[in-house]
Amino acid sequence: MNLEELLYSTYGFSSFRPGQKEIIEKVIAGEDVIALLPTGMGKSICYQLPAKILPDSVLIVSPLLSLMQDQVAQLKKMGEKSVVAINSFLKPEDKDRVMNNLGSYKFIFISPEMLVQPFIKKKLQEIRVSLLVADEAHCISQWGFDFRPDYLRISEVLPILKFPQVLALTATATDKVTNEIKEYLALIKPYVYCHPMDRKNIVYDIKKFEDNREKLEFLRAFIQKFKGPGIIYAGTRKKSQELSMLLTEQGISSAYYHGGMEHQDRVFVQQQFQNEEVEWICSTNAFGMGVHIPNIRQVIHFQVPTSIEGYVQEVGRAGRDGLPALATLLYAQGDEALLESLVMDDLPTKHEIAAVFNGGSSATHLIDQGIVRETAFRVIAYWMTKLPLAGVTSQIEQLRIGKRQQASKIRELITRDGCLRSYIISCFDQQLINKPDNCCVNDGIEYGVFEAFSYSEKKPIPLDWQGRLSVILPI
Amino acid sequence: MLFSELILAIMKPLNRQRTISSPYHLIKGKKSGQTIQDIGYFGLYPYFGIFPKLDKKAYDQVIKSLFSQGYLLANEQVIELTEKAINTSISDTPLNGWKYRGNEILFFNRLSLIVQTLSHMSQSVKIFDPIVNNEEIQMWVKKYLQQIQFRDLAVVQAFKKELFTTLADSAISETHKMILTERLTGLALSGLTWQQIATSKKLSVLDVQLMTVEALHSWMAEIEKSKPPLLLGLMEGVIQQSSLTATAQRTEKLFERGFTLEQIASLRQLKTSTIEDHVVELAMNDPYFNFKSFMSQELYKAIIIESKSQQSKRLRDIKEHLPDASYFQIRLALSIKEENQ
Repeated sequence: MNLEELLYSTYGFSSFRPGQKEIIEKVIAGEDVIALLPTGMGKSICYQLPAKILPDSVLIVSPLLSLMQDQVAQLKKMGEKSVVAINSFLKPEDKDRVMNNLGSYKFIFISPEMLVQPFIKKKLQEIRVSLLVADEAHCISQWGFDFRPDYLRISEVLPILKFPQVLALTATATDKVTNEIKEYLALIKPYVYCHPMDRKNIVYDIKKFEDNREKLEFLRAFIQKFKGPGIIYAGTRKKSQELSMLLTEQGISSAYYHGGMEHQDRVFVQQQFQNEEVEWICSTNAFGMGVHIPNIRQVIHFQVPTSIEGYVQEVGRAGRDGLPALATLLYAQGDEALLESLVMDDLPTKHEIAAVFNGGSSATHLIDQGIVRETAFRVIAYWMTKLPLAGVTSQIEQLRIGKRQQASKIRELITRDGCLRSYIISCFDQQLINKPDNCCVNDGIEYGVFEAFSYSEKKPIPLDWQGRLSVILPI
Repeated sequence: MLFSELILAIMKPLNRQRTISSPYHLIKGKKSGQTIQDIGYFGLYPYFGIFPKLDKKAYDQVIKSLFSQGYLLANEQVIELTEKAINTSISDTPLNGWKYRGNEILFFNRLSLIVQTLSHMSQSVKIFDPIVNNEEIQMWVKKYLQQIQFRDLAVVQAFKKELFTTLADSAISETHKMILTERLTGLALSGLTWQQIATSKKLSVLDVQLMTVEALHSWMAEIEKSKPPLLLGLMEGVIQQSSLTATAQRTEKLFERGFTLEQIASLRQLKTSTIEDHVVELAMNDPYFNFKSFMSQELYKAIIIESKSQQSKRLRDIKEHLPDASYFQIRLALSIKEENQ
């Protein structure tokens, strides 16, 4: 069977997206691969399809719980039963059964924290792994926008697994990050696939205001003029609710979405958006994962994003259908101060470093007592095992410099006079080839094309319960 | 029934006798001796455990607004209702918390996943995001669907017909029924979030959640009565066979075998007072409970008369006039259903 046939019989797709086939061929050929693919380009197919051919288990290290749950759900949805997720959600009563049969699962998802547990390491030694997948591999980089110290410890299991073949997947990585991935995963001559970061059909706009009130005014007019489907990214849960209320008051259908809602409510909102029952989603950065809607026309950042990488991921959810999409960033004076504090907030302080050094790496009571924050604790505790106090302090100082650069990249984006597109992709060490006519605010935007989009009127919503039941069960 | 009305309905019989947070424990379904016996004393069966996940902050918010609307008077110790509150009439409610014990959620989660599955499969869509991610419920639904042979369109039609008939025959308002169906989702129509439902009806989220529980209790009662073959299957394990808590049941078994309360306490490594709580619970649930081994007929009568003349069920008030009675005897006497003795 050739790859296209396998793709069709497994997913029902008749052709690969750009990059997928090259990556899969190299993986099947037994090479180490680092793949840089934008979100929505089908990263998971790159290990799911080879798993059909490779003889043994595929071990996927995934740093985000929600992402892991989503991928497990996706696989199960496709009818794959041989899947297990080892994370803090695994119930104690299931644990023994899973652990004793670990080798029988085709797909083993695991969080980096669990990966380095002694009893897990012991089990991993007993099973055969064909392929180790490091998902969201940029988390390995201390320069990356969401560095996870535990991720560095993947290297500890490499010898246990007898140096398996590795596939590192990420949506965003600079050359520097790619080199770090190579180094930490001990990849000697990996095949590196680098998808062009530029999305030609996305137009970059930035609007500048005196204050928050002006932003709201702009938004009110904007949603009357431009149609969805669209996402408005708000900085906080509360803001997402407020913005949704504002849209509703303007007679525009919308729903808010954030991690504080119960599971069913979140699924309802995703479905409504997918079914075009609501035109706009007002959300924190929790929205997007597992949502596959091709025709998103608008992405608005009501608050300044905290990193270029995060910004590019969120904007990248628009225009998957290839038609024009508009990304609008709203900036008000003083936002950069807020940005700075948001970005720097995660970093361990001197006091926290001292407290963890005195208490030791198992002093988790420092977190409970509110003396050290959880993420700060993880970062310090990791570096403590590698370096003396002075080393840790200077390491954190390096991180601070990195974070400051991250914030300054966003500031540069906002204050720049030149082409935003070429600036954004230069942040990923790529160069702009073929500048589209409709490009960015600094080169003039032709808005007519966006005004021309209409939003399909939603079907009449039934007004009584009998009507609802009849639409849900129309047979 | 609105949420604030629910709180008033519970507070009325408890007025000046219990604290302001006792309604909270009751609707959360707290299984403490005090809460359980209050249900019997004050006839609060409908409201037990109807909001297992109720947030204390949300409750406090409602209490605050009851104060500001002039339903409650400041009192450090107990609930003190105003004239306005006492004169507020409470509408009828189909709530039956004592019977369903929060299991209406189990029923509705099963139903939601079944309806979503039937909606997609009957329209030839095989892949969808399940609305319920609890694996136990997913397994249960899978088994159920295979049993009823859900691929047969005639079965889907029969299921739909049962939904229509039983919901139509349920004794609740059209708004209640609308809210229920707004929490269901299918291929061509998505469910609505609590906030969306509340906003569209100009109610609060707690109000519509309460109405959902009311609707479910009424609907489940209708299903138990008319016994439609397909929907009746969803009631499996939803109704507890005994209305006792599991721990009280164990005490009951030992008591029937002739152990004394002290012996049961030491056997079960519990405090005697806990075992006494269980006995009170047994008395509440058994109309023919025999109290003779705990007190004389005379003492029982004296307690009841005292409680009536004082119009109080506060133990301390009664004890003051009947110093020979123990607190346990007073609690027990008050929890016995009088008409049967």
